[in-house]
Order: sequence, then structure tokens, then C-alpha cells
Amino acid sequence: MTAPQDVTESITEARPEAVVEGMGTQIQGRSLGQIAWRRLRRDKVAIGGGVVIILLILVATFAPLIVELFGHDPLEFHYDQVDPDLQISPKFFGGISPQYPFGVEPVNGRDIFSRIVYGARISLLIAFFATLLAVAVGTVAGIVAGYFGGWIDTLISRTMDVFLAFPILLFALALVGIIPDQAFGLQGDTLRIVLIIVIIGFSSWPYIGRIIRGQTLSLREREFIDAARSLGARTPRILFSELLPNLVAPILVYATLLIPTNILFEAALSFLGVGIRPPTPSWGGMLSDATHWFQIAPNFMVFPGLAIFITVLAFNLFGDGLRDALDPRSR
Amino acid sequence: MRSRRKVVVGALGAVTALVLAACGGGNVASSGGSGNGSGGGTTTDANGVHNPSTQKGGIIRMANSGDWDSLDPADTYYAYAWNFVRLYGRSLVMFKAAPGGQGATLVPDLAQALGVPSDNAKTWTYKLRTGVKFEDGTPVTSKDVKYAVERSLDKTTYPNGPTYFNDSLDLQGYTSPYQDESPDKLGLKAIDTPDDQTIVFHLKSPFSGFDYFAQLPSTIPVPAAKDTGSKYKEHVVSTGPYMFDTNELGKSFTLKRNPNWDPATDPNRTALPDGYSVQLNVNADDIDNRLESGDLDVSVEGTGVQPAAQGKILADAALKANTDSAVVARLWYTAINGDVAPLDNVNCRKAIELAADKTGYQRAYGGATGGDIATNLLPPVIPGSQKFDTYATPNNAGDVDKAKQALAACGQPNGFKTSISYRAERPKEKAVAESLQQSLARAGIQTDLKPFPSNDYFKLYAGKPDFAKSNGLGLMVTGWGADWPDGYGFLAQIVDSRAIRATGGNTNLSVKDPAVDADIDKALQIVDTPTREAVWVDIDKKVMDDAFALPGIWAKGLLYRPPNLTNVFITDGFQMYDYLAMGTTRK
Amino acid sequence: MLVYIVRRLLAAVILLLIVTAATFVIFFVLPRLGGATVDDLASRYVGKSGSQADIHAIAIKLGFTDPIWVQYGRFVAGIFVGADYSTGPTIVHCNAPCLGYSFINQNPVLPDLLDRLPVTLSLAAGAAVLWLIGGVLTGVLSALRRGSVFDRTAMGIALAGVSLPIFFTGLLSLSIFSYALGITAPGGSYTPFEVNPFLWAYDLLLPWITLAFLYAAGYARLTRAGMLDTMGEDFIRTARAKGLPERTVIVKHGLRSALTPILTIFGLDLGLLLGGAILTESTFSLPGIGKYSVDAIVNNDLPKVLGVVLLGSIFIVLANLVVDLLYAVIDPRVRLG
Repeated sequence: MTAPQDVTESITEARPEAVVEGMGTQIQGRSLGQIAWRRLRRDKVAIGGGVVIILLILVATFAPLIVELFGHDPLEFHYDQVDPDLQISPKFFGGISPQYPFGVEPVNGRDIFSRIVYGARISLLIAFFATLLAVAVGTVAGIVAGYFGGWIDTLISRTMDVFLAFPILLFALALVGIIPDQAFGLQGDTLRIVLIIVIIGFSSWPYIGRIIRGQTLSLREREFIDAARSLGARTPRILFSELLPNLVAPILVYATLLIPTNILFEAALSFLGVGIRPPTPSWGGMLSDATHWFQIAPNFMVFPGLAIFITVLAFNLFGDGLRDALDPRSR
Repeated sequence: MRSRRKVVVGALGAVTALVLAACGGGNVASSGGSGNGSGGGTTTDANGVHNPSTQKGGIIRMANSGDWDSLDPADTYYAYAWNFVRLYGRSLVMFKAAPGGQGATLVPDLAQALGVPSDNAKTWTYKLRTGVKFEDGTPVTSKDVKYAVERSLDKTTYPNGPTYFNDSLDLQGYTSPYQDESPDKLGLKAIDTPDDQTIVFHLKSPFSGFDYFAQLPSTIPVPAAKDTGSKYKEHVVSTGPYMFDTNELGKSFTLKRNPNWDPATDPNRTALPDGYSVQLNVNADDIDNRLESGDLDVSVEGTGVQPAAQGKILADAALKANTDSAVVARLWYTAINGDVAPLDNVNCRKAIELAADKTGYQRAYGGATGGDIATNLLPPVIPGSQKFDTYATPNNAGDVDKAKQALAACGQPNGFKTSISYRAERPKEKAVAESLQQSLARAGIQTDLKPFPSNDYFKLYAGKPDFAKSNGLGLMVTGWGADWPDGYGFLAQIVDSRAIRATGGNTNLSVKDPAVDADIDKALQIVDTPTREAVWVDIDKKVMDDAFALPGIWAKGLLYRPPNLTNVFITDGFQMYDYLAMGTTRK
Repeated sequence: MLVYIVRRLLAAVILLLIVTAATFVIFFVLPRLGGATVDDLASRYVGKSGSQADIHAIAIKLGFTDPIWVQYGRFVAGIFVGADYSTGPTIVHCNAPCLGYSFINQNPVLPDLLDRLPVTLSLAAGAAVLWLIGGVLTGVLSALRRGSVFDRTAMGIALAGVSLPIFFTGLLSLSIFSYALGITAPGGSYTPFEVNPFLWAYDLLLPWITLAFLYAAGYARLTRAGMLDTMGEDFIRTARAKGLPERTVIVKHGLRSALTPILTIFGLDLGLLLGGAILTESTFSLPGIGKYSVDAIVNNDLPKVLGVVLLGSIFIVLANLVVDLLYAVIDPRVRLG
């Protein structure tokens, strides 16, 4: 249901009420965080996902070092690895060898391994910041709509409806296409990355917004809010000191589950040719290039695809585990 | 309970197994080619005509990976469309349906003879054949030709056609027959029709090659009464051997025999098949697969197979036997923009010429199959062209030392920074840009890549001088194919600096040399062909000395011909298979 | 109830106006803010070597010289009362609902769209049947045999399914089943149903399965969670206590209430998909609405883009509406809120 229409599933499946219910069952003496951590620690699969995520972050951070040790410069051409007539590596499966663990790209013979390692940077960077943006906007809009109700709620809810009714992927395509080369004092890759983050962030905030609004609606009538109100607390204080801390758990869960969606969104944009610019490697961009070659050079398609799959799977596993940990009922 | 996710690891394994299964099928030397059993059964005559035959009948099935640019003869500007339009329309003059160089010669079609110049080649007269009729039986007169040219002048209705008549005729302010006050809508003074069989063109300035203009589809007669403007392409009234049977825009169309076409009036067409069917917007890789399997006869664009099919064909001798390599009058090159510092210094431009690795350029276009490395502008297939190499480097791979010397002479001994632009939707141009980035870096020339939308590349970006300048587009990847194979048809649109318009839409991206402009004027005056051709070579040399263009490759197209096609040959007129002579043995 | 429907329909129309207006802004206002002139916008729609005069004539012809709200008004008016277009020699009337003519090739947009719709419709309908059946069945079985090998395997595969992008699975399945094994149609194959139903199904088989796999994964997870939730509710316990057969309890009571949220999401997913399965159609080169819209955007062909956006939004809004109405029928409280 999220932006890249035909690839992602709804995150509504994760029943927000349950999370709140889960929080309601707090036992005195142990904080929610401690309980969740205990549960999470026992969930080996979720931990596995978490370990993969940490590994991916390490790979992205130390990409230059890894490539230095195991690969070649991601931009360097290796014509000697490519048959000048066939345009692909004449060796087994796109030239897989200890030297080129994932083989080489058709035409120019670039090291696919190094490009995938560097591609992790773009994927994670964009997905992380886009999620941050979506969470920030969605949380504020959700709390405000849920707490104040009335016409403010109507306005914000309708705005979210409009966003959800947009064929977002189309808009993203159109928008990225007309963006100039320099704007807002930024240029080149930096500008592209910022724009993609903004576009993805702004198209996914309503999902967070809706959930937070629902949570706020149910929290608003709780005793502790009433108490704060009767003690004369000001509205901002109620919103951010009383309500927000109680929303941290669902925000965390849905942020974790939004990251893989946004990774797929970024890959989709790159696949459709409006992502980051060449020669900077990105997974979706590699898959897009591979559409012309996958019949004769399947390695060019398989490895970037697997990279996306593993990354998204890891985040989904971890997000699932996190949700279960915070909400024992959903097991 | 937790253990339910242990299976995830198993699921991962399943996907991996699928992936490995894919690996098994990824072998290059696959067993392709079994689809057509008679692969080796074709014959070829001395002129290079495959399967010569006079057998009639059958339908030729064609497919286009995009939309047809336009079926309206006034609104079309693609070589394949000009090749194909001869099936349903007769222009005054046409390219002969003959193999190789003969195909680039002009022969009279609707006219009885080639144009007769007078008034120092400022006036051109054609006599029409008698007995030529439209598909409804109405006789074709010179007024129908005049009307057709008139309507082609209207660029708001027909924006895509060439503007040669707009630029060369003495229009005296005439814009369109749709704005024409005269009752017969034939108010254009630049064309006279003294009688029904005679048409006279009056030009602004002398032009020795006017027969090339008379060959344009815009001279295909259009009956004024049937003209529906931008909707005319839904049913073009035929004068050729075939007429439209069905036509679903953007999807497909079919041609059937035109009963009112009289072979006695037409020495140029054999009209072998009973009809044609053309499918539009078919996936390019799918077209290649269907050609191989025999479900399709012709990839109508004639630009050659996709990389995947190329790999399969080159690895399979049986398939390769059914292919032809068309040498195209097209140059893939990179414009070097003298407006952008430090490329305003000729030595910095020369450094680019010397540092670039042209083998990388060739690989980007598919290796030797995609074309030969170009060392100057005029493609060798153009009559009178001459191959020379002003910036020869060992193995065409670039010469870093020489490039550094040029850089030193330019006052940039440590290199400089600039940008390379290319068309975003063209993977080959992207590969060129990436390759140039690598090879120029060897000499210290740092570049960043700037893709722009293909459709607006010339109109808003690279082809718009102030945009290119203010965005620092020092190098602009581009290509140019001749409108017709002669020096003027190839060079005029890419080296004449007076043709550069500030409003954009330019195809000359960088060449600004008054000496070149003067030479062009000189060439247009010269009636003697060899002397004129020598001037075009001079122009070519001047542009290379100025280092305004980095030639990449002279294009070739790997064309696949199913064995059931007869009379298949490549014509130099369009540099692809000729569509007029082709027949089929498939019933 | 009637008031509720009218109110929702009105809201839907307003929503469509906002969405199309936003498209207008993106294509016309944003470039103008970036410094583009009217002629700059028009120069895209002039062929090779157009002169300044030609460009300006095109700008006038396409109406770019009018204020932006006049242009938008013309678009809206075209939908409700039709519009007149010059073909050169004559003026033709484009009947309502008229989505205008392409800037690039002067083809009318609506027939083009309707022409492409069957492809997307076939793709979405076939895949939807597969994923709904496959997903719900798997989910129910998993829930009933919670913790079994089947449950664990199914949920493992489902989790992998929601983590795969279609442009990867699509290429992968094409290279395995179409190119290596040769058992399914290659990319780009499509035969209209009315031409040959068998070929139609054969050509679409791989896109259906690939697309359905991704969705089925999500639906299986949803159904399983929903079933587990419901089966723990009091009314199920009551039903069991009444001595109803287990089969009746599961199907009549459990599944019915677990399916309600599934149907909601199904409506929305189908609506989105009908608006153009951009990635699926790009991957399999199917000539549907999705591919049409990408082409339109690449060509900056605004009337086509507007048409696609409008159509896509209509499907989403309709799906929303149907779902809401169904809810209103099921749960009368909704009507009040």
C-alpha cells in the first residue's frame, strides 16, 4: 500500500492497538524497555536480523576499506575481463572468481562486488533519513490531529487522504525528472540524495500519521492525561511530555518497519531511472541496467537483487521481533 | 513459538536455490538458433541481394519498439519511416530500391525525370507522370503536390517534419494553407503549377542539391478535400502500391494492395507481398526473440538487435549467417563546447581529443559490431568522404603524454574540471560518458556526469547554448545521422554556426568557426560533384583542427533477416534493409 | 445512508480536483518558478529545428500563454462538457469526458487510455484472484496449525515474499522460466482476451504468479494474525460452547470477522494496482497503463500524465469509497462519524 504500489504490503497489519495494549500490561519494577529487551533477546531470528542490519551498517560505513581489501575501485573499468564482441565476461557466470567475487559488469567490466558494497551506502542513507523525516512529520501531524480533534483533525486527516490517493510513484518520477542540477545551494549527487529523501519521506508520513493519530485518540482519554490537564499543564507540555513518551514504542516499531519499505521505494526510483546519478552505484540502478543484459549476464541482475532482498528481509525480521517484544499478544 | 522464524533461514535457502537455477540458464553459448531450420539455406546474388525472387504474395510482418513517429508524410522525420512511406506514397523523386551505393541514387518517381534547374539553380521544374491516381481513382495533379508541400510548412500542425522547405522556399510570409485566403488554398507564390503535370519551385538562394528536397515525403501528393490536418495520419490517401487497411494509432496498422496503383506508371516498385502488418510499441528484446523464432519478419526501425540478442547471435554461427551488418551514415560523437572555460582554449580541446580512449567509445556501442572507431566527422559510407586522423593515438586508446603536453600548452598542466552531459534514457550514451570519465581522468581531466531527459536534450539542455554554458557542459555526448547520404545532408546541421539558435533545439552543439560557415556557402554554389565533395572534406578537416568534436564511432547495425524473406538487401539510401523490394515465401 | 454516500462522493470529487491541480502545478508552475518561460515549455513540443516563431505559435496553440487557472479550468471543462480542438484545417469537438489531445502526437488521450486499460485490468484481476485465494488459504491453514512445520515454512516464505521487489523477482523468474526453461512466455508478450483466451492466460501467467506471490505473502501474514486474534475472542468460545461443529466455528465465525480487514486492504491494493502497475509492467514490458504513464512522463506529455493520474486516483478513491460503504453497511456507527 505504500508508495511503490505493487511491491509493498500494508503496514496496517501490525495492529497498533495491540502495541498500546501491550504497554498497558506493565509490571511494576521493570520498565517497558527492560521487558522488551528480555523478550527480544530470546527471539533468535529477530536478533539474526539485527545482526545483519549491524553488519550492513558496518559494510556501508567501511565500504572503502572493504573494497580496498577484497575488491577493486567501484568506478574502475576492467576491459580485460570483458569480451569486446559479446560485451560480457566470457567466463562462468559473469566472471565470478576470487578476484571478482560477484563477477563483472557487462561492457566496462566494473567489479560488481565493490559496487554492491558502495550501493549499501546509498540505500541505507536514503532509507534511514527518509524514515526519520516521515516519522517526524507523521508523529507531529498524528499527535496534533488526535489530540485536538475537530476541524484540525479533519484538515490533517483529509490531507493524509489526499497523499494516500496520489499515485505517489508517478509523482516521484515527474518531480525528480524536472529538478534542476543546482538548487537550494546544493548540487549534483548531494542534491539528488536530499530530494529523494524528501520525496520518499513526504510520501510515507501519512502511514505513521494515521497510526499515531489512532494511538493519541485512545491515550487522550486516559487518566494520566486528565490528571495532567487538571493540574493545569499547558497543551505543549501534555503533548510532548505526557503523550509522546507513551508513543515511543509504536513509533519505534513502525519506523523499523518503514525502513524496508523505503529501501524498496528508493530501489524502485533508481530502477525507473530517477534515482542517484551514474557512475555512483545503487542497487536499483544496477538492476535497471541489468534489464538489458540479464538474458546473457544473469549475475548482473542476481547480486543487486539479493542485496536488496537480504537487507529488506533483515529489517522486516527485526521489526517483527521488535513488535512482538513490545506486544506479546501478537505472537 | 519463536522457532517459527527459524524457517526463514530455510526460505532464504529456497530463494538461493532459485537463483542458482537461473545461473544454469545464463550460459552465453546457449543453443539458440534451433528456431529456424533453414538458416543456411539462403542464397545471395553478386550485388548482395539475399534470396532474389519475383514470387508474389504473403504478408510481411513488422514490429516497432516505439510508436511510429507519424504516418503523415508531412510530419515524419525518421529514416525507417521515409523508407517505409514509399510503400503508400509517391514523392517527386525517390531513393532507388537497389542494394548498396546504388540505393543512395535518386530516381524520378512521381516526376518523369529529375529536376531541371534554371536561374542559376534557384528555380527547379518537375514534370509529373500521367496516369498516376489516388487510391480512390482520382488522378494526381501537380496541385496536389503543391498542396502537400504547403501544408508541410505549417509547423504548429506538423511539428515533427523537416523544415527544408520552410528554410529554402521564397515564402514571402506564407505560413499555412489553413491560413490561406485564396479559395483553392494554393496561395503560395514560391510554387507554380502552370498545368496539371508541371510544378515549379522558386528558392531564396541557389541550391544545387534540390532533388534531395524533392525526395522528402512532404512532396507526396495530398488531396486537399481529404486533408484532415493532424488527423490525416489516421487515414493517409495512398498513391503507392499499398493503402491502409486498418490503422489503430499507437498499436498497429496493416496495408493492403491499392487497386488504383498502376505498375505501368511506376518503374521503381515490384510490390511483391500482398500486404504488410506493423505492430507498434513492442518490447525491443521481444522483437529480437520473435525474429529468431520466425514469428516476425522485420524489426522496422532497422537500427540493429539489442545487446542480449547480439551476444546470442555472435556466439552462434547459424544465427550469424542470417545477419547483415549495415554501415550507417551516422556518427556517434561528443561535442566539445568552446563556450565553457577552459575549453575556449583550443589546446584544452585538443587535450580531450588526445586523452580519450576511443576503444571505450566503441565498446559502449557494442564493440566492432556496433561500429568502427571514427577519426573524423564524415562517415565513410557518404560519397566523397575521406578518412583522416588529426589526433592519432596508439590503438585509438588515447595518449596521456601528448594530452598532458596539450594541457600544458593550454595553461592547465594539472588538468581541469568539466561536465559530461548525455541522454538519460540511452544506456549506450551513459556507457560512453562513464568511459570518457575514466579515460580523461588519466590526463588529470576530472568530469562529472549529467544525464538529461532524452526528449528535451536538444530543446532545453545541451542544444540550448546559454543552458549548456551556464551549466558548464564542456562535453556533450550526442550523435548525428545524415538526412540523406551526401556532405550537405550530413554536415550542414552540425557544423554551420549560423544555424545555432538561442532558443534551443540545435543539433550543432559546439562548432563555431566562420571559416567553416564560409566553406559551406562555397559548397552550395558548386555544381560539379567531385569539387563540391572536396570542399565538404575540407570542412571536416577544419572542424577537427578546431577540436570542436570528439568523433566516437561510425555506426553499424546488426540486422537479422529471417530466411523466409526474399530480395533482402541493405540500401545506402537509408542504411537499413530496403522495404520496397522485399518479398516473403511464407504464405 | 444516502446523505452519507452523497457526502463521500462529494469529498471524492474534491479529492480528484486537488490531485489533478497538483499535477498541473508540478508540470506548469514549478518549472515557471524555476525561471522557464512559456516558450521554453512549448519548445518541447516543437520538432527538430523549430524557429522562434514556430515555438511561439505552438505555445499559443497549446494554450500556454493563458493564465494557469484558465488552463486548468479548460482541462476540467473538457471533462464535463467536452472541448474543441484545431486539427489544422478544421475544428473537431472532443465529447465529454474529454481528456484532451497529446502534446506530442496529437492523439486523443481517453481512447489511448481505454485501449491500455484491458492489459492492466487483466494483470491486476488475474493476480488478485491468485493472491487472494493463495494468501488467505495459507493464512488460515497456518493459523489453524500454528507452530507446525507448514506454518513455519509458509510464514518463512511469506516473510521472504514481502521483502522482494517485483523488478527483481520478475527478472529472475523471466530468466528461469521464460529464457532458461522456456515454459512461460517471454517478456513483452500480451494477447488480448478476445483474440485468444488461452494465449492470453499463457502470456500473463508469469506476471500473475510473480505479482501474486508478493501480495499473497502479505495477505497470508495478515490472515494468520487476524485468525489467531479472532479465534481467541469470547464469541468463538461461546460458539464452541454452544457445541457448534469446529468447521462451522472456523468458517462462519472465525474467518468472517478475520476477513473484514483483509477486504479493506484488498480494495485499496486493487485500486492502486489498477491505476497502473508501473513496476510490474516495466519489468515484464506489458503495454498497460503503468508503462503508458512512464512514457508520458518521460515525454513530458502533460495531457497523458493528467489522464493517467486522474484514472489512477479515480480507482483509489472508488476503492476507498466501496470499502467505506461496505463498512457503513456492516457497522452503522461509522455513518455517524
